[in-house]
Amino acid sequence: MALLEVRQLKVHFPGRGGWFESRTQPVKAVDGVGFRIEEGQTYGLVGESGSGKTTTGRAIIGLNALTSGSVTFQGQELTLGKRGGKLNFRRDIQMIFQDPYSSLNPKKRLLDIVAEPLRNFERLSPLEEKQRVRELLERVGLSPDSIYKYPHEFSGGQRQRIGIARAIALKPKLIIADEPVSALDLSVQAQVLNFLREIQEEMKLSFLLISHDLGIIRHMCDRIGIMYKGRFVEQGTTEDLFERPQHIYTKRLLSAIPVMDPAKREEQLRFREAVNSEYKEAYERYFDHDGLAYPLKPISATHEVAAPEKG
Amino acid sequence: MLKLSTNKASPQARPRQPADKSPSGLSIVWREIVQDKIALVSFILVAAVTLFVYVTSLLLDQDQIVRVDLFALKQPPSSEFLLGTDQGGRDIFGQLIIGTRNSLTIAIVVTLLTGIIGVLVGLVSGYFGGTIDNLLMRVVDFFMILPFLMVVIAFITAVPNYGITAFTLIMTAFLWLGIAKLIRSKALQEREMEYVQASRTSGSSHLKIMFVQVLPNLSSIIIVTMTLNLAANIGLESGLSFLGFGFPESTPSLGTLVSYARNPQTLEMRWWIWLPASILILVLMLCINNVGQAVKRAADARQRKG
Amino acid sequence: MWRTVARRTTIMIPQIVLLSILVFLLARSMPGDALTGLIDPSIDPAAIEEQRVKLGLNNPWYEQYWDWVTNALQGDLGQSFRFKMPVTDLIGERIANTFWLSLATLVITYLIAIPLGIISGRYNDTLADRMITGYTYIGFAAPLFIFALLMLWAFGFHFGWFPTGGSVAPGMEPGSLSYIMSKLYHLLLPATSMALITTVTTVQLLRSEIIDTKHKDFVHTARAKGASESRIYNRHILRNSLLPIAAFFGYEITGLIGGTVFIESIFSYPGMGELFLSSISVRDFTVVTSLVLLYGIAAILGALLSDLILSMVDPRIRIK
Repeated sequence: MALLEVRQLKVHFPGRGGWFESRTQPVKAVDGVGFRIEEGQTYGLVGESGSGKTTTGRAIIGLNALTSGSVTFQGQELTLGKRGGKLNFRRDIQMIFQDPYSSLNPKKRLLDIVAEPLRNFERLSPLEEKQRVRELLERVGLSPDSIYKYPHEFSGGQRQRIGIARAIALKPKLIIADEPVSALDLSVQAQVLNFLREIQEEMKLSFLLISHDLGIIRHMCDRIGIMYKGRFVEQGTTEDLFERPQHIYTKRLLSAIPVMDPAKREEQLRFREAVNSEYKEAYERYFDHDGLAYPLKPISATHEVAAPEKG
Repeated sequence: MLKLSTNKASPQARPRQPADKSPSGLSIVWREIVQDKIALVSFILVAAVTLFVYVTSLLLDQDQIVRVDLFALKQPPSSEFLLGTDQGGRDIFGQLIIGTRNSLTIAIVVTLLTGIIGVLVGLVSGYFGGTIDNLLMRVVDFFMILPFLMVVIAFITAVPNYGITAFTLIMTAFLWLGIAKLIRSKALQEREMEYVQASRTSGSSHLKIMFVQVLPNLSSIIIVTMTLNLAANIGLESGLSFLGFGFPESTPSLGTLVSYARNPQTLEMRWWIWLPASILILVLMLCINNVGQAVKRAADARQRKG
Repeated sequence: MWRTVARRTTIMIPQIVLLSILVFLLARSMPGDALTGLIDPSIDPAAIEEQRVKLGLNNPWYEQYWDWVTNALQGDLGQSFRFKMPVTDLIGERIANTFWLSLATLVITYLIAIPLGIISGRYNDTLADRMITGYTYIGFAAPLFIFALLMLWAFGFHFGWFPTGGSVAPGMEPGSLSYIMSKLYHLLLPATSMALITTVTTVQLLRSEIIDTKHKDFVHTARAKGASESRIYNRHILRNSLLPIAAFFGYEITGLIGGTVFIESIFSYPGMGELFLSSISVRDFTVVTSLVLLYGIAAILGALLSDLILSMVDPRIRIK
């Protein structure tokens, strides 16, 4: 049984405009997305900005209302308990946010920030609470004595660790990480990513990793879904996608990865040109008349592609 | 919020903090006031006047001051009547003390009431947004466009059993709008911050997020607005009383004292009746404004002096 | 552009309807009605009742409201019982005085604001700037009525340089040069008193605009091109800094409405504000409510004007 299963998830936002802010066509941010996350694994959602990957993550945790679809967690339907299309917040699913600056309340001490989930879900005495926060801070590599400090006294990387401490405070089973390192310096990015893998192993966590950076995705993920305009174009294991990309959009993304080795630059350039010409020529076949991807079709046990209707 | 303003009046009473705690909002405000000599003098002056009128008015016999004394009509300043008497033989100096106290009290009450209502409505409206927010802000916009003075005067004349309570309520009814609009726009910005979403995913309720997470981030803007509003409200009360639509004559205020000057003879010949009250209004408003500006600089880190 | 104008103008319609309902309810809650002032109390109560029915005073409120609105649209705002004349005619007499007072105040406001703002902004942090800033601080805090009272006391009574009341000296022939001069003379002190207070926001605005513009890239470019300092200020900085001042103009009108009430009362200047206050004191409520309505419409128009100028100046707010 998968830890999390998402089926036919749709999130539409009402469009606004016109003379008196009358409703127009809704914006289909997420338009029928489905995937499974196994226990202890990392699932990567990739796409350009506006592809709906962030909205998907936010809908699963309950920050955005679902228009339709279902989300099952450990075999339990989360959508049943929904109110107004929104899922309830639960202690087993937590989130790490993108911006380490705005995701920590500047007026709150570390103690209050990290203890916030504990206060909502567990009844602890102030002493126990302090002890737990100290442990958590130590766990993420910060001094346990900093519980009375304010977020502005920390660097970006440290702040992201504080965010991680808050996310793991309730010992969740799934963490949704939305671009967790994109706001950090490159040198700090690797540190934080390796740290995430460490705690994953230690706490048997599953991750839903949302990123536009294919390097990070390849480094971190077991399975990957590639999104374009609210739909999946391809889904499979990391090996499937990086070694045997099928969809023209996936190929184009992969060809855009910069290559470090100068000797291979020529080769990469030719590959990129080949993909580009194929993209122009085959675009009509791979996308419908609205420029959207077709439904996924399996091509192997692990690999699915939004294959063209005919071809 | 009530606590915030009382703290502002006595910033010495800072909560005890651990040594490694970063400066809190109030201590930054206090440091800014001390750094700014003009603001410090202003603060001391306002505090001294406030303390003086509240203490002295306890010692004064209020009934005697407002009682008509036919044997002491329109007297010039003397040792008995420091600032002379009015046409009813009432002691002007006593009226000045009680009047200042009354003016300060009503300004503080109106400031607190409008502050509480404005912050509550603005916070809820801005945090939730949507249709209710839209509708509410249209209404607020409408009432803010209306010529405040005329409408308030018209309301005051239309209200039966007009008294100090009615006056306070009418002032409050129109003055919370601006605060609500300001707080709403700040709350609207604040709710887009990721810490609000983080609180949601941590399982906090909307109510808790609004008051525990978002409100502290608006505290400096609330303190600034309330301070500047306090000065403005002293001006409004005395202006309305001056025109004859504030306090009744039996309840002296700074405005009723200045309104004696509407009689050209009093204006020209008996300056001791209206000039001290006028100067007091000027000084109080100027000083409170100075303190407010210093607080404003404290809220904006780029402009801080120290 | 036209879309914004049309949209902003349509918002005005519900505002004016809402205002008229508010004013109507206000009028009804005031003691007395259209008949109270007109009729001799010794007349038989039955006859009064008959009159009331004839005038529609016993109809349900919405019918009365409709009658009132249709009459108002035709310029009939009712009768003033104090002056025994139609309110429209009465206001017509006073509106000119208030208009001239407002106009004079606006002219003096900008005559003060523009030079002070420019000096303060161009030479910021000099002694002159500090003095101007100090003046704006005091002007911002000082209530208009106290300042006006002090001006009247000092220049009207103590020095006797200016008249202490009225809008024109008695016995002048309307239209003659001396009549106009006398009117101007009577305007000068009230308008200056108000302008000295209202101008400070404009001075502050202009100062900060100039200081902001000074550090913009296009100013550095102009300087690098070798343009003279006065050309930079006159052609580049001032032109850009005056636009927000223009946008502020409509709000200035709204501000004047409250100001004229105090000023007219203090200087016994026979305008609409003075009429408003004296009508309240003799309980001439038809006049009071009509004035609230007119002032309200003026304020709504002022806000409209501001928003329209602003949308022309700042294209970002056009599409909201």
